Amino acid sequence: MDIFTALFWIVTLVWFFVSIAKDKKKTVNALKMSGGMMKGMAGEILAILFLIGLIMTFVPQDTVRHFMGESNLLISTIIFALIGCITLIPAFVAFPLAGSLLDAGANLVPVVAFLTTLTMVGIVTFPLEKREFGIKFTLLRNSLSFVFALLIALTMGVIL
Amino acid sequence: MIKIKRTVHNNRLLTVVILFYMVLAVISPDKAGQALKGSLYYVKEMLMIMPVILVLTSLITAWVPRKTIENSFGSGSGVKGSILSFLLGSFSAGPIYAAFPVCKTLLEKGAGITNIVIILSTWAVIKVPMLLNEARFLSFRFMIIRWILTTVSIFLMGFIMSRLIKADDIPTGQWEEEQSSGLSINSSCCMGCGLCTKIAPDNFGMASKKAVALQSVCNEAQRIQVLEAIEKCPAKAIRNKAS
Repeated sequence: MDIFTALFWIVTLVWFFVSIAKDKKKTVNALKMSGGMMKGMAGEILAILFLIGLIMTFVPQDTVRHFMGESNLLISTIIFALIGCITLIPAFVAFPLAGSLLDAGANLVPVVAFLTTLTMVGIVTFPLEKREFGIKFTLLRNSLSFVFALLIALTMGVIL
Repeated sequence: MIKIKRTVHNNRLLTVVILFYMVLAVISPDKAGQALKGSLYYVKEMLMIMPVILVLTSLITAWVPRKTIENSFGSGSGVKGSILSFLLGSFSAGPIYAAFPVCKTLLEKGAGITNIVIILSTWAVIKVPMLLNEARFLSFRFMIIRWILTTVSIFLMGFIMSRLIKADDIPTGQWEEEQSSGLSINSSCCMGCGLCTKIAPDNFGMASKKAVALQSVCNEAQRIQVLEAIEKCPAKAIRNKAS
C-alpha cells in the first residue's frame, strides 16, 4: 500500500470513529446509503475489471502502442475523447481501465482525454440535462467540456 | 427463476463477461487463466481502495453541511459563491445526473450560471473520493496535475458560460407534472442508493436499481419518515405533492 492510500485510510478511520462517537445513527445511515449505491454498481465494476483482463490478453501491446501511441496522437485523442462522451460507466472503474491502457504502452494524451470527457460530457444524460437547464445551456456546457478535455489532455502530454 | 432473470437483466455486462470466460475456459484454458490473472490484480487493488472510498463517501454525506452551503447561495455570491460551489461539487456522492436536481434547486434559490457550471463540472470530474481512486491506479502526480488543470478549466468554463447564457434561457418548468398528487420519484435522477427505503420502508421500495414509491403517506409516523427521506435524498429526487 502506498503512502497516499495509507494516509487516506488513517484519516478516514479516525474520522469514522469520531463520527460514530458523535452520532451513531447518522453514521450508520450514511454508510447504508453509500453501501446501497455501491451494491448497485458492483456488477458493473466487476464486469469491467474482468473485461480488463480479457483486453490485456487479446489485444497485443503492439496494437495498443500503434493505435494510442505517438504516431496517431491527434486522431486517437479525438477518438478516445468521443468514446468518453458516449459511454456511461462509473468513473470508479475508468481509472483501472486507464491504468491498464497506460501499462500496455498507450500514450497519456488519449487516456486523459477519455477520462475527462467520460465524466464531464454526457451524451446519454443529455436529454435529462436539457430538461432541467434548457438546450442552450446543455449544448454549450457539453461542447465547452469537450474542448477543455482536449486542452487538459494535451497540456498533460506536455507536462508529464 | 424470475429472480435469476432479474439478476441477469440487472447485470447484463457482467453476464456477458462471465459467459465469455466460460467459453474461453473450454476453448483455450491458457488464455482464460492469463486473463483471469490479469483481472485479479485489478480486483485486488480495487478491494484495497473501495472500502475506504465507501466510508469516506458516507462520512462526507453525513457531515458536510450541505443544507448550510445550499442556503448560503443566493444574492451574495461572487468569489465566495464560486468557492462554495467548488466545495459542494468536490464533496458530493453519486454520478452527474444526481447533480441536476440539486443544481436546479440552487438555481431557484438564486445561484448564478457560473456557480451551477462549477458545481456540475466539479461533481462530475474531481470529487474527492474519486481523486483517491485516480491516485491509486494512475499515480499521485498524474492525479494532482489533472486536478489542477481541470480546476482551472472549470472556472474558465463557468466564466464563459455566464457570459453566453442568460437566466431566462433556463426553463423553470416543474417535472413530474403528470403526477397530480401523492408521492413520486424522479427516477431518471435516482441513483439507487436505497436510503429512502431504509428511512421510510412503508413508502419506498426498490425496483431494478431505482427507488419507487409504494404508497402515499397515510399516517403521521409515515409523514415524518417521508419528510426525512426527502431531505436526505442525495439526488433530491423525491417529491410529495399534497392532494
